[in-house]
Amino acid sequence: MRAEGVPLPRAGAARTPFTRRRLIVAAVVLAAALAAWALDASLVGLVPQAGGLELVRDFFARALRPAWSYEGEAPAGAAPLWVAALVAARRTLVFAVAGMSLALVFGAVLGFLGSRAWWEHEPAGGESRLARFLRRSVAPAVWSATRVVIVGMRSVHELLWAVLFLAAFGLNNVAAVVALSIPYGGTLAKVFSEMIDEAPRDAAQALRAAGARDLQVFAVGLVPRALPDMCAYAFYRFECAVRSSAILGFFGFPTLGYSISQAFENLHYGEVWTYLYALCALVIGIELWSGALRRRFVA
Amino acid sequence: MSRRTSGSSAEPALRGGAAPAAALDFRTATATVDFDSRAALAGVDFHCGPGERVALVGPSGAGKTTLLRLLNGAQRPSAGVVTADGLDLARLTPAGLRALRSRIGFVHQDLALVPNLRVAQNVISGALGRLSTWGTLRALLHPRRDDLERAAALLERVGIGEKLFQRTDTLSGGQRQRVAIARALFQEPGALLCDEPVSSVDPARARDTVELLNALAVERGLTLVVSLHDVALAQSCFPRLVGLRRGQVVFDKPAAAVASAELESLYRLERAEMTDDAS
Repeated sequence: MRAEGVPLPRAGAARTPFTRRRLIVAAVVLAAALAAWALDASLVGLVPQAGGLELVRDFFARALRPAWSYEGEAPAGAAPLWVAALVAARRTLVFAVAGMSLALVFGAVLGFLGSRAWWEHEPAGGESRLARFLRRSVAPAVWSATRVVIVGMRSVHELLWAVLFLAAFGLNNVAAVVALSIPYGGTLAKVFSEMIDEAPRDAAQALRAAGARDLQVFAVGLVPRALPDMCAYAFYRFECAVRSSAILGFFGFPTLGYSISQAFENLHYGEVWTYLYALCALVIGIELWSGALRRRFVA
Repeated sequence: MSRRTSGSSAEPALRGGAAPAAALDFRTATATVDFDSRAALAGVDFHCGPGERVALVGPSGAGKTTLLRLLNGAQRPSAGVVTADGLDLARLTPAGLRALRSRIGFVHQDLALVPNLRVAQNVISGALGRLSTWGTLRALLHPRRDDLERAAALLERVGIGEKLFQRTDTLSGGQRQRVAIARALFQEPGALLCDEPVSSVDPARARDTVELLNALAVERGLTLVVSLHDVALAQSCFPRLVGLRRGQVVFDKPAAAVASAELESLYRLERAEMTDDAS
């Protein structure tokens, strides 16, 4: 049975908004299919090569039995394995903390300069010529330059920065920290600027109406509103930084990744699992800590 | 750079119970505000003397908010002149406009507080217009004892003294409204402009709040301009009513002299206006 319909209002080029949505879903599915075709990807590629299956089985068999002491010969003068794992975990954390601290500085400075709200300005009558020049010409140029810098920092992965710095400065702890902080700083800056720009403007406008100047409006009316989200995101990125810091070990920095790659090369899968569990414990510990802080400050 | 001796060099305007600013007067002459070809205000002449208390009444979309925003320079007129305290707002420098605004308290319809700051911080932020950028951080992150005492006294006066250190978003709507009023009073203003201050509370609280605003204006000698959609409330609390409709002043007289026929015609909506309620 059909109800006697009234003519529907037109929605843009498509007949109804729903037509358009179906087309978008179809396009996404098509893109996935095209990518798979281009890569010549098939499930056959996942069948292990000869001997591979054995390796996988041996590796996972040790998951429930991580090593408590060195498999094979203990290196001369080495601490017990569990101490070595803790030391590597602590180094991993130290690299992450150092990289993240620097990234937070980049993120805050570039995030503020890269937000639209920082440059917002209420036009008033008697603006001086210099003020108008700064507002019309200098401010948009600085804003655009900041956005370009942010994109540049983000578009190169921390491991690539690490390779670059390794080549330039050698195996140097500062190089690792800076390599970590550049893409992390760029990502923090991008997300911080968006969070600030999306914060509700009502309080900012009220402060402006009470005679506050631009910087005060920004610092008191906008940043505090975005701060809980900014903190939550920074914690998430810190967790990512711990993982990245571990991976930097594959290039020889003394973090968990270094221990893992050494143990793996020697086929000491038990040790690999010991180090992996140390990394898991680190990430879980950060998660619990950030959750506790969030409950205290945000809820 | 000489180091400041701690505590002795306060921002002068914040010290103690600073003397309230002298009451301000406001005037608009044939003020017109166009939003996308629609006139929110069409040639409004409005005058409010120092210490006068005026209610702006009229249906939504009549231009009450726009008129209030003209008075503190938040909205610039498309044509006409707006003066506050005898100063032509269009001719003020940015610094001059800020200085004037620091003397005008504005209570917003949506209260416009920072929800995750403490009540004390929100109240003290009313004084930003008189603080340097550095002084701002100092005043909010590590408030001076006398600022806190003054904020506490204002909160006490508006009836929520015990909330000083609470997070603002833990307060009820009515309590938050008191915080917004206290913030405006912390400016030590010469005038209070209030945009539909009671639109989000129940009628008993609404009357209470409007009476409080009037009492505060009288005891501090403030000019008070309030937009209200509740005409009965406006009539019983304010000495003078200004009726607005479709961006024009329909009447402007002592509250007692407003006839019920005038109110009726003010609110009699045409059919098209029923669905087009842009304020």
